[in-house]
Amino acid sequence: MPQKMKEKITERMKKRRIWLDGGFGTMLQQRGLGPGETTESWNLSHPEDVTAVHRAYLNAGCDVINANTFGINSLKYENYQELLRAGLRCAQEACRDFPECYIALDVGPTGRLLEPLGDLSFDRAVSAFADLFRALPELAAEGLCPDLILIETMNDAYETKAAVLAAKEHSDLPIFVTNVYDESGKLMTGADPEAMIAMLEGLGVSALGMNCSLGPDKMLPLMDIFSRRASVPVIAKPNAGLPEVRDGKTVFAMNQDDFAGYSEQLARKGASILGGCCGSTPDYLREVIARTKEIPLPVLSDKNITVVSSYSHAVTVDRSPVLIGERINPTGKPKLKEALRAGDMSYILGEGIRQADSGAHILDVNVGLPEIDEAAVMKKVIQELQAVTDLPLQIDTSDPAALEGAMRVYNGKPLVNSVNGNEDSMRQVFPLVKKYGGTVIALTLDENGIPETAEGRVAIARRIIDRAAEYGILAKDIIVDPLALTVSSDSESANITLATIKELTRLGIKTSLGVSNISFGLPQREIINSVFFANALECGLSCAIMNPFSKGMTDVYYAFRALKGLDSACSDYIAYASALPVLETVSSIVKAPAAEEKEQDTLAHFILKGLVAKAKEKADALLQTEAPLDVINRHIIPALNTIGADFEAGKAYLPQLLMSADAASAAFSSVKEKIPPAQQSSGKGVILATVKGDIHDIGKNIVHVLLESFGFTVYDLGRDVPPAAVAEAVKKYACRLVGLSALMTTTVPAMEETIRLVREADPLVKTIVGGAVLTQEYADMIGADCYAKDAMETVRYAEAFYGDETEE
Amino acid sequence: MIKHPDVCEGCLPAEAVVLNRNEIAARLHASRTFEDPLIDRCLARLLSVVSYKYCYVRLPVSFPEANLCNFGFAEAASADLAKNLKGCREVFLFAVTAGIGVDRLLSRLSAAGTAENFITDALSSAAVESLCDTVSESLCRDCSCRPRFSPGYGDLSIDFQQPFLERIDAYARLGVTLNEARLMTPMKTITAIMGIKTAEEKGCPKK
Repeated sequence: MPQKMKEKITERMKKRRIWLDGGFGTMLQQRGLGPGETTESWNLSHPEDVTAVHRAYLNAGCDVINANTFGINSLKYENYQELLRAGLRCAQEACRDFPECYIALDVGPTGRLLEPLGDLSFDRAVSAFADLFRALPELAAEGLCPDLILIETMNDAYETKAAVLAAKEHSDLPIFVTNVYDESGKLMTGADPEAMIAMLEGLGVSALGMNCSLGPDKMLPLMDIFSRRASVPVIAKPNAGLPEVRDGKTVFAMNQDDFAGYSEQLARKGASILGGCCGSTPDYLREVIARTKEIPLPVLSDKNITVVSSYSHAVTVDRSPVLIGERINPTGKPKLKEALRAGDMSYILGEGIRQADSGAHILDVNVGLPEIDEAAVMKKVIQELQAVTDLPLQIDTSDPAALEGAMRVYNGKPLVNSVNGNEDSMRQVFPLVKKYGGTVIALTLDENGIPETAEGRVAIARRIIDRAAEYGILAKDIIVDPLALTVSSDSESANITLATIKELTRLGIKTSLGVSNISFGLPQREIINSVFFANALECGLSCAIMNPFSKGMTDVYYAFRALKGLDSACSDYIAYASALPVLETVSSIVKAPAAEEKEQDTLAHFILKGLVAKAKEKADALLQTEAPLDVINRHIIPALNTIGADFEAGKAYLPQLLMSADAASAAFSSVKEKIPPAQQSSGKGVILATVKGDIHDIGKNIVHVLLESFGFTVYDLGRDVPPAAVAEAVKKYACRLVGLSALMTTTVPAMEETIRLVREADPLVKTIVGGAVLTQEYADMIGADCYAKDAMETVRYAEAFYGDETEE
Repeated sequence: MIKHPDVCEGCLPAEAVVLNRNEIAARLHASRTFEDPLIDRCLARLLSVVSYKYCYVRLPVSFPEANLCNFGFAEAASADLAKNLKGCREVFLFAVTAGIGVDRLLSRLSAAGTAENFITDALSSAAVESLCDTVSESLCRDCSCRPRFSPGYGDLSIDFQQPFLERIDAYARLGVTLNEARLMTPMKTITAIMGIKTAEEKGCPKK
């Protein structure tokens, strides 16, 4: 076969519009593909039909044909290589008479959902995609060489990233990516075009856009977003209109004239690469090509947008200041340190959610403690945080391994904290930013320390930006932190920092600052912090790493935006101000509380009513005058006993019991802070797990919160826990009470196996089981010591267990 | 992505599905009269994230052997299902989902507070049940149907879920995936088979 000497597609697409092919599955259905048959199976069984469809698109004038490889992956097929080879062979065969045509290796979704919502791990997804690309060299040796990789019809940002990463790591081919947006303008798992553009451009794809689901008419408004935000060529590969049901059959309603007409509009709005998806045929594409070939190619320019993204949305660093929540950082936070050492995710996740609720736009994540495996913990925290918050994350570490691990599993384009003017630092950080995509905070310090002048700091910033460019990282992806040093030791410190911000802003460089460092060593730091923050914003500060719970700081933020015309009709300010607690009036302070109010102003009352914030507040007040253990024994436990007894008597319902437990937990957490860590453990431990194969953990969580509020120490192993892990925990914690939960009949055998293993580990262990499918009969059958029909029964059993034990 | 042309799909706005109070009470393990402002807040937040979608196909069914139902694309060995469909010549296969936004909300709440998580979980289960009722009622508008039957009920294996979901393009149309334990994501998803009564059955004009 003669060697192809055609131009690379990445070169050709700079010169003229590129046309991809159209619907494939629908074409094969016309040729007799039946229900239950896969398109890829036809590569082996009907290669001449597959080739004929390709040829029809080439005859229509398309530049690129997608090999019939969309549904092939190693999770689904053991013979994926054989199917891949056959698919590429069909495409190659069709191209025989079209030397200028390009073949795309077409890569579709695996059909599985990634963790945390699904059960396919990110690493497993990457390796499944990698299997496809690893097969390429061998296929190339047989003369089967695709010209590009088209990752298409992706519903999920995370899976898209897995595919792109695998492609980057195992091939040098150009990567095109298209995602499926619905009429709300989002992917099925929530990402909008801005988020996808940020992530994909960060990963360095050659072209990106949308396919399937929508017709070309419905893609028009999305096309506007793509043209405004994307710096690489944009692809539109629409369906032939929305599906309609006629006589019980789905048909795509748009005719080829309309399809081509709208495609023409897509081209005029900036689509450089056009094609079709479900329902479109070679005739549609012929018409599209005729209507769009005279339309000049849009002029591509770098949009110069500084942006980070999460799985759902992008945060653009522009005129309106960006707040980066600083609370997930162990420095000076003993509770977080303890949580990190104990691997207690719930505290860390709670901090994340609270910061998001307090208005942070991005969350800083720093887990650096000398005694922990930072890389492992960072990866885990990033993965768990992105399950509970949709905010972009700032990966804050000086450990390159932790940084790489976190950037890899991050679902979006992260903010990286940080690089500095040291050559070593740049050598470690920039290749990772280039590979995984990211925006990086650059500290203005180098081998010689922090310059004492604004000019000196700006010079370092420029040097970092220049070095980044050598790695292919654009200036827009660098945010400079000019550093704030405390004014308590250097009275000029604030002035230098502010002057640096001003100069960087004048140069068009985005800035970030850890604002509160300015007040280190001073009393009432919030006063200094807020005024400094206001000054920095006035000088042009783009991002602030700050405490979103600080009212002084958020006051400044909302007021600044309202004053600077960044808050239309002051609506954000008004919403913020209206939610602030109203100041107490003099009359309300002097008025003696009525007897009834007095009775209601007790911790027990707030727990009984399930008022979380009030219960915590009251516990804090009580702790001023009462010993921590008294607060537990005289206020919390009696209230819980009351609601527990009401629940058992059918006078209170489960939601009320849980609301009380939440309130008691909040009070309990205040009490715990006052008890020295060594005395915190009650000695009454309970191991909890939802058994292997079961991901329903709500019942287990209910038991967890109740046990905890009754003062037990809970070792919660989570859900889908292998039997051996429970047995290990029994040994590790020397804990002889194990609670197991299962929701489905299919997982009861796993429960039985777990009981067997924990008995082996320690014959004195008692097991208590519960969950939707469990009955006394089942519990007896699998050898459990106790069946609990609800969470209170578990509490009572645990009380009896430890009561008996003390008597022994 | 290839889809079966005989499968129909649609979506419903949140307000189109009326939640059943009895269902809510049952899921909350509470009485019908139980009220709390927290429940109202949880419901409002839930309804702001639901994305109700459904898809269905109408297929012939035959019974090559006792306790074996043949739907053309696959066979299901189940005495209970065969009994449920006895005498039917056609069935609806359908799936409804409240969407992945509910999973995300529940995931967030599981880290935030047990009561809200439990209440929201209960409400979302009630919501998808009501969605299922709404969709099945509309399918039965021009015919009448047997009670619905889902994979995993009685002796119908949960393994039937896989071919079932593939046949109705549940991934492509609804984003429904199956994990290794044969559980569906989004969590609040229901699949069901519904026998269509024949004309001979009482009060049922055949379509």
